[in-house]
Amino acid sequence: MALIQIAEPGQSTTPHQHKLAVGIDLGTTNSLVATVRSGDVSTLPDAEGRHLLPSVVHYAEFGVCVGHVAQQKSITDPLNTIVSVKRFMGRGLEDITAEDAHYSYTFAETDSKVPRIKTRAGNVSAVEVSAEILKKLKARAVETLGGELTGAVITVPAYFDDAQRQATKDAARLAGINVLRLLNEPTAAAVAYGLDTGNEGLIAVYDLGGGTFDISILRLNKGVFEVLATGGDSSLGGDDFDYEIAQWIVAQAKINNADKPEIKRLIMQQARSAKEALAEQEEVEINVDVDDCQWQGALDRLQLRELLTPLVKKTLMSCRRALRDAGIGKDEIREVVMVGGSTRTLLVREMVADFFECELLTSIDPDKVVAAGAALQADVLAGNKPDDEMLLLDVIPLSLGIETMGGLVEKIIHRNTAIPVAKAQDFTTYKDGQTAMALHVLQGERELVSDCRSLARFELRGFPPHVAGAVRIRVTFQVDADGLLIVTAREENSGVEASIDVKPSYGLNDSEIESMLRDSIDHAEDDMHLRSLREQQVEADRVLEALDAALATDGELLLSEEEKSRIKAAREALITVKSAADGEKIKQAIKQLEATCEDYVARRMNTNIKIAMQGHSIDEYASDSEAEVEEP
Amino acid sequence: MSKDILKSNFFELFELPVSYDVDLNQIQQHYMALQKQVHPDKFASGSDQEKRLSMQQTSWINEAQATLKDPVLRANYLLQLKGADKDQGSETTMDAAFLMQQLEMRERLENIKNETDPLSVLDSMAKEIRLSTKTMMAGFTSSYEENQFDDAREWIRKLQFLKKATTEINALTADIEDELMS
Repeated sequence: MALIQIAEPGQSTTPHQHKLAVGIDLGTTNSLVATVRSGDVSTLPDAEGRHLLPSVVHYAEFGVCVGHVAQQKSITDPLNTIVSVKRFMGRGLEDITAEDAHYSYTFAETDSKVPRIKTRAGNVSAVEVSAEILKKLKARAVETLGGELTGAVITVPAYFDDAQRQATKDAARLAGINVLRLLNEPTAAAVAYGLDTGNEGLIAVYDLGGGTFDISILRLNKGVFEVLATGGDSSLGGDDFDYEIAQWIVAQAKINNADKPEIKRLIMQQARSAKEALAEQEEVEINVDVDDCQWQGALDRLQLRELLTPLVKKTLMSCRRALRDAGIGKDEIREVVMVGGSTRTLLVREMVADFFECELLTSIDPDKVVAAGAALQADVLAGNKPDDEMLLLDVIPLSLGIETMGGLVEKIIHRNTAIPVAKAQDFTTYKDGQTAMALHVLQGERELVSDCRSLARFELRGFPPHVAGAVRIRVTFQVDADGLLIVTAREENSGVEASIDVKPSYGLNDSEIESMLRDSIDHAEDDMHLRSLREQQVEADRVLEALDAALATDGELLLSEEEKSRIKAAREALITVKSAADGEKIKQAIKQLEATCEDYVARRMNTNIKIAMQGHSIDEYASDSEAEVEEP
Repeated sequence: MSKDILKSNFFELFELPVSYDVDLNQIQQHYMALQKQVHPDKFASGSDQEKRLSMQQTSWINEAQATLKDPVLRANYLLQLKGADKDQGSETTMDAAFLMQQLEMRERLENIKNETDPLSVLDSMAKEIRLSTKTMMAGFTSSYEENQFDDAREWIRKLQFLKKATTEINALTADIEDELMS
């Protein structure tokens, strides 16, 4: 309960305590973790000094391994080694298309719509595989920083839909990470470049990763990063470049068994190496030696250009659409931030520079820039920089709607709307005595249900039976700052909160997650108790400290004697149980104290806003709005 | 501004007079100043209550900004504040000449791909729409100020037509540009 600080900047009411917070870039190809230490942001290396963790998970005979070791198994044991798992986050079985087939996994037949990949360790979902990568990064951070993490900012492609974001958050939960925020990758990159300081104007962030493409148009103004529009393709990236090159190699070398998983992976790796080499040199030699096929050849930049141009063009189409959505012209863009390993490909830089006709920012390592930005944001969110002016205002990338008669989608929240956002919609019954109603929530721009992505089906039930049309159900669609949708419903005439059964179309439901969590902590029970006790004690201290600071500042001003004594009683109760060895009791006492303070907190927030806005008015509108400033 | 953000109307939030003419600059500046106070990022390590309140307040401010910036939504909101946003039973008929114009435009859009230079046709149509939007907005202003709410609603309906047409023109332009590029 961080009762907000009304203190003047620089006059901190509590001693400053640095919290450990990290930024995590959970990438298709590589993942990274970064943090801010003594004011500087840096990515954290492993014991061997490597910063990038390949996003590869190998399910071995005994145990799981992640990263470089797993990568080596990718060719020898492809069926048990998961690469590019990000492509499958929040996806359904029917989304797995021919283009994904070159990953050569076997998908298990289950009744759940969440695809599970068959491995020798059992069937695993994309969420579980991602959780393994996150666990590894978390362990690296805890070890390097020497303490438990307060939380992490995890980045996602701006173009990720609700299901993909939810899957990412679930993976973090499974890995035991407190998610401070899901942050869009392009926004993170803009933060890393520190473009806010002394900069005003419009920029574009072009982010081409291993499996996803994002374009964001941002307006910078005095520490605020305001996303105006975002667009992209959540399944287009460097992997597709590799695939084009691999197809070319297969055709040139006339490889017959190109469908064999081992060969597929090998050729894909050769394709990637060739692509990377061509960023440095004009031509690269390729040697194929598989089964009965030996071939020697060369790939040059001209050929590469021919292979990749259609893909890069696709990204530029998204750029133009994003500009149009933002309502601005190409010539208004001052700089383009280049992000993602695939922007190393020269053709990409050339075509992007041609398109925007302006300077490309490439000075920060395109692989590390997103993690660095996330770390800067994590540092602010953890409360390490209370006076920081930085603020990120993001948008929802794809429209949200509901199914209506005839298989059509009615949009409720349009894409590129600033988040958080809430929209209420009224529904009524069409039959006498009807007590339940089904809602189908979709995301996408098209008009037909079948062309949009199904997010969830909700069943509203428990409202009183009436004649048709007499019941009024107000459904509120709230999108939070992570871009995640929360749906609530109530019957307006009776005030009954209708209960909602959520059936996520692709995500894991809560019970699935719970059981995974149970599995992963099986015998660590005692440990867990101790940890939770310590955590609750720390939390209690934090709550008390914040409360005392708040009371000292404005307790007299905002509270009646009666309220004060009630808060004091709850405060004493918490202090009493704090030393007891019972985490659950402490938790209850914290909850009790928070409940007692509810009005006080709300009052403080409003007062704070009022004070700040008046200060603002005096500064900026002194000449024309004095009357309003005078108002009590 | 009244004390509680969630109980303030959109004009109060941005300290604007209740009027169809708004200072977009002032909206933007107030919007930023409010965001710096209430955005969920300011309460990332706050209590659940603070998080919830901050999300609700930010949502409200976002809605306020989106409403006041858009000519159709703003007009509708003004009538809503007067309790005059819904038709009062007297079903008005649309201006026939305007409807004819809209039908012609629709037809032209449907056959746009047969034009020799579809992009420039779309461009000039967009320009025309921008011009008529200005006329409609002026029309709304005077009807609204004279409390002629039936007329005001008629202007809004016309503005809505134009807004929809603009969306369609933009979508078609994007499609054609994509086709030309690939």
